[in-house]
Amino acid sequence: MAKAKMIKAEVVIDEVRCRGCRYCEKFCPRGCIVIRGDRFTPEGYLLPEIVDIERCNACGACVWMCPSFAIDVYRWVEAGEAKAG
Amino acid sequence: MTEKILVQGNEAVGLAAVSAGCLYFFGYPITPQNEIPEWFARELPKRGGVFVQTESETGSINMLYGAASTGVRCITSTSSPGWGLMQEGISSIAGAELPCVIVLVQRGGPGGGSIRHSQMDYMAATRGGGGGGYKNIVLAPASVQEVHDLIQLAFYLADKYLNPVVMLSDGIIGQIAENLEIKTIDFGPLPEKDWAVRGVGRQKDGKRRMILHGRGVIAGPPYFTYVNFLDHLKEKYQKMADTEVRYETYQTDDAEIILVAYGYVARVAKEAVKMAREQDLKVGLLRPITLWPFPYQQIKEKAELGCKFLAAEDSMGLLVDDVRIGVEGKAEVHLLDISARHMPTDGGMILPGRVFQEIRRLL
Amino acid sequence: MNNSIVKERAWGRPELCLDLPVWGLYCPGCQHPVGARLIAEVLDELGIADRAILIIGVGCHAFSGFALNFDVVSSCHGRAPDLATAVKRIHPDTIVFSLQGDGDCIAIGAGPFIGALTRGEMITIIMLNNTNYGTTGGQLAPTTLMEQRTTTTPEGRTADREGYPAHVAELAAGFKGTAYSARGALNNLANYKRTKKYIKTAFQKQINNVGLSYVEVISACPPNWHLSPLESLEWIEEKVIPEFPLGEFKNVDRIE
Repeated sequence: MAKAKMIKAEVVIDEVRCRGCRYCEKFCPRGCIVIRGDRFTPEGYLLPEIVDIERCNACGACVWMCPSFAIDVYRWVEAGEAKAG
Repeated sequence: MTEKILVQGNEAVGLAAVSAGCLYFFGYPITPQNEIPEWFARELPKRGGVFVQTESETGSINMLYGAASTGVRCITSTSSPGWGLMQEGISSIAGAELPCVIVLVQRGGPGGGSIRHSQMDYMAATRGGGGGGYKNIVLAPASVQEVHDLIQLAFYLADKYLNPVVMLSDGIIGQIAENLEIKTIDFGPLPEKDWAVRGVGRQKDGKRRMILHGRGVIAGPPYFTYVNFLDHLKEKYQKMADTEVRYETYQTDDAEIILVAYGYVARVAKEAVKMAREQDLKVGLLRPITLWPFPYQQIKEKAELGCKFLAAEDSMGLLVDDVRIGVEGKAEVHLLDISARHMPTDGGMILPGRVFQEIRRLL
Repeated sequence: MNNSIVKERAWGRPELCLDLPVWGLYCPGCQHPVGARLIAEVLDELGIADRAILIIGVGCHAFSGFALNFDVVSSCHGRAPDLATAVKRIHPDTIVFSLQGDGDCIAIGAGPFIGALTRGEMITIIMLNNTNYGTTGGQLAPTTLMEQRTTTTPEGRTADREGYPAHVAELAAGFKGTAYSARGALNNLANYKRTKKYIKTAFQKQINNVGLSYVEVISACPPNWHLSPLESLEWIEEKVIPEFPLGEFKNVDRIE
């Protein structure tokens, strides 16, 4: 099966579940997630933000290491090679 | 003619368990009940069952917990020191509302005590030693046949109420051998065990099953609060108390003194009643078969008719407390206890002559 | 023919990790849910979720147990291997595994643990090692490191009072009936992937009826280590792993 050609990715962080542990920021191999310290979750945890989404290749590292199941990663691929995440 | 064979009390547990369809035993060696695990070790593997010797009685009761969660009929047995190690497990099984049968063959206490008989675990069995409030139906056999019949009843009651049921035997009842009529007793239909764990893919509705001993604390159907769950337990225990009392009376109709005794001492007491009746003394015997729920009502009625009571037990006085509860202060309650043994040793026993002597003293 | 573009979810919460509020009970940075994720992914990938039965102990790990879509039985503290033994022997065609903590498994649970190892039960035991009793507020556990402060070793663990950290993977490997014993950690991506491999291999041993399989997973516990989540991962690298080396301590395909 030819590697699905990915057009772009999207990373969604659920701000209710996130508790600012910063693991996603630390483990994103491409530095696409940053906690600037000026945004907070409703419970007052530091909320990470997505920066340079173009550099994200939907590797999933942020999702694996998130202990709150707060992150979903989506990707747009050309039809025919859709894969269940 | 029904087949009768000479069987030891402890071994009757095994014969009865398999008759009740129980093929799963987990136990630990402890005198005077060793014949029970030994029987199961011989008999269960060839019947497709499971026998595990555990690393301790705490292991036994927790394996029983695991087995009960799969919905199979399962049993363990122990003696007094092991009973102590089972308390948290029993409380948890009651909290998870799982059916199982536990045989306690009493020996002398406290602590290691003696490896012979006694009736010193009466309170430990009827009140339970684990955390929190729970009740176990406690059945007390007085013969090898009754060990056999009550074990089958125990499995039925356990499944009926989803609760542990205890059979309280002792070193004598466990070790004597008597003629036993082996039969399968049918107590009627029972609800399906849809709650049992078997793997989500094997559940009819494809939904997972959760068996928790912390029910109500962890919100989940059908009890969403802790007290809501406890109310349910209270209701269940009241229903047991209202419908499952069992006892035997002997010559109590016109009795002025009623002996109250269970297990081996009840047989001794019956002989003493016969000796008394030969001398036209109006004496009878009330033998509780369920130690919980206890026959308080029957005692209350006799107390209101002016009877006196003599509790006879091979302990320092435990059963007597329940007799006192039953009479509600309306009648004299006397006690013949372990110091009445015919020898002051761990092998000594309460004998009919001594009970008869006590009857004469009270009349 | 123009290929239409499709949006798909690449990564998210595994289906077997139910969407329940209990996940929110975990402290920020606690890695128990990451351990639970690995279990969910492995059982899904091995296609055994439908016949899996989980026995959970008492401790922080138990919250995960309530939120994994398996038939689950909660055991008395430390007794999970006893329940697992009975369930597996009664239903040998199910996959039975226990999820326990370090206190649950090798302090109060040492008896049943050794019993199961001795009998070589065909079960999988997963121990999350956060070097302390988490739920009860951070007391000493058998796996507490030397000099590690806990609420019951306020001056730090010392040899003469509290002895030495217990090496459970090495202990398990010493039993004949053990088919597999390994220790992993989740403090970086490499260790994450390696730990997932260990858990998969462990369950494979049960599928193939080889023997008992044990996997220990070092898991960060920021509040009771009095460290931030990121500092906790560093502490794992600098202190915990040197005490508890990662790797496979036993891996056999047959026990003669």
